[in-house]
Amino acid sequence: MNDRTLDRPWMLIAQREVSTKLRDKTFLGSTAVMLLIVLVAVIIPAILAGRGGADKIAVIDDLGAQVVQQASTTKGGDGYEVTRAADRPAAEQLVTDGDVKAALLPGTDGYVVLGKDRVDSGIEGALREAASSVGMEQNAAKAGLTPTELRAGTKVELELLKPGPLPDLVSQFVNIGLALVFYMTALGFGMMIAQSVVQEKESRVVEILAAAVPIRSLLWGKVLGSTVLALSQIVVISAASLIGLLITDQADILEVVAPVAGWFVVFFVLGFVALAGLWAVAGSLATRQEDLGSTTLPGQMILMIPFFFSVFAGSSAKTVASFVPIASSMAMPGRMLTEHVPLWQPLAAIVILLAATVLIVRLGARLYERTLLQTGRRLGYREAIALKAG
Amino acid sequence: MLRVAGLTRRFGAQLALDDVTFEVVPGRMTGFVGANGAGKTTAMRIILGVLAASAGEVRWNDELLTQEVRRDFGYMPEERGLYPKMKIRDQLVFFGRLHGLASDRAAERTDKLLERLGLAERATDVLEALSLGNQQRVQIAAALVHEPIALVLDEPFSGLDPLAVDAMVDLLREEVTSEVPVLFSSHQLDLVERLCDDLVVLSRGTVVAAGSVADLAAGPTTTYRLVVDGDAGWLRDVRGIKVRDVAGGTALFDVEDGAAEQQILQQAISRGQVLEFAPERVALSDVFREATR
Repeated sequence: MNDRTLDRPWMLIAQREVSTKLRDKTFLGSTAVMLLIVLVAVIIPAILAGRGGADKIAVIDDLGAQVVQQASTTKGGDGYEVTRAADRPAAEQLVTDGDVKAALLPGTDGYVVLGKDRVDSGIEGALREAASSVGMEQNAAKAGLTPTELRAGTKVELELLKPGPLPDLVSQFVNIGLALVFYMTALGFGMMIAQSVVQEKESRVVEILAAAVPIRSLLWGKVLGSTVLALSQIVVISAASLIGLLITDQADILEVVAPVAGWFVVFFVLGFVALAGLWAVAGSLATRQEDLGSTTLPGQMILMIPFFFSVFAGSSAKTVASFVPIASSMAMPGRMLTEHVPLWQPLAAIVILLAATVLIVRLGARLYERTLLQTGRRLGYREAIALKAG
Repeated sequence: MLRVAGLTRRFGAQLALDDVTFEVVPGRMTGFVGANGAGKTTAMRIILGVLAASAGEVRWNDELLTQEVRRDFGYMPEERGLYPKMKIRDQLVFFGRLHGLASDRAAERTDKLLERLGLAERATDVLEALSLGNQQRVQIAAALVHEPIALVLDEPFSGLDPLAVDAMVDLLREEVTSEVPVLFSSHQLDLVERLCDDLVVLSRGTVVAAGSVADLAAGPTTTYRLVVDGDAGWLRDVRGIKVRDVAGGTALFDVEDGAAEQQILQQAISRGQVLEFAPERVALSDVFREATR
């Protein structure tokens, strides 16, 4: 009689979950705010690091200009800009007025770097090096050597036995960032799952749903829908930060982060799905939105404790945390960034996490089935476990 | 045919349903009546698989009712509920597909029902923006959208004004084909009497009466009522009847011999003016009261 094409009701539930969320202004707004924060976090440090344009340095003769050019070439990037002044008083005036960062003047035996109250050590060093290099080249030319001959055998190259992780400050930052992304996403979407379940209970639509499809399909659909949403949100935010890094010339960070990104996704999905099962139960234990405060408490704790642990704990504690399910989703990707983790460790952590996820989801599905249609009053977890089927 | 057999359900120590057996025949509307707490909603929820039975079974065409078959049922729960913030058209299409319709068919059915219910212009409104009466219409549409093979409606007309009830009834008559058994519970006995072909009366978890409304309520009666211009006391002397009550010109009597009522009518006419003469039919509410006492 009817056209039976849909044998996967959970797909339909997931679709509804996604399309409802994509029309939800609160969800779109919070995603936009997160995007903005990430972009600002990526771009602001670059601007603060002085990439706002070339520093101006005053000179009064061609030799000085040549030295500044040389310093500029060595520094790379925007480098330094030469500002011509007629004579020393004019150069002093420019320095006093702050029109230039410093002035390079001829001295008794070489040069004088003139500053107002202080001279940026970077500028001083660069000028010092350029001056000696230019001077030596000139001296060498007098002695009949070419610049290449002069430098022969003096080149120093850097080699690292364990090439590596990011500089300390940056790696700490990325470490906390990764844990924070998991924490915020799991918490945000977790609350969303719990709310969506309790809304269906509150509006009683759950009875029609339960009559039409198996209750487990409802759960799978919700978990699938929110996992897809959470992952896409992360992808969008990653893309934004990627663009931010590229336009601010910080692409070198990517070389370190990129290999860990794949691991992060695996840890993220497994940890997220395990928690999603728990959040759905938190929703099905409640009968009204107000109950969520207490029924979601265990979920919040399961997230918050490992989060602070993985961010602030010492390195050995962090190593332990990186194997504990859920905590590992936050600790392991960060560890892989900041230290050299043997391959078996993330693999073992994933196996443990996978086992835990299967267990948690199965328990969650059982509790969900038993409590979803109990609309009388809020239930506790213990009560729910004691409930018989039906 | 939908059949429940030996349905029993306990909530803790309380027995909500006790060995309930009845049938819902295709193409007939079966009214499900009983006082509050008699177990109607419990029985309906068990039929829809939302609640498990402690004992007994639900059969569909002589086989145990499975989840796959049940998915084609239409259900309107006592506690109404749809998604308050979802557009009504999207919502009906969703339920149609949830019940297994292909998406274009679900859209087609939705548009037809919305048109039929006069809600076509509100298609893109969210449910909570509609009046309660219109929300109820959408709720019925949600139960009908997938062309159900059986319908279970828990108090479908409660809260509707008489005009809305008529509109709903028309819709049901149109939508429900002769293969579809319909079970609906109601407190409004006059409505049940008007709409239903069959009746199941439930009292404290047991079936106390079941059968066609004609048999139960409007069957052959032997009680007659006579109203005449003068005094009707002479009836007491007529043989073959048993007078229940005489007050002035109004009398109520049972006929013991066949056809005695015809002689009485003739006699009454010969004695004076007859204002009223009719078989005294039992109202359904009396059946109900009798059965659930």
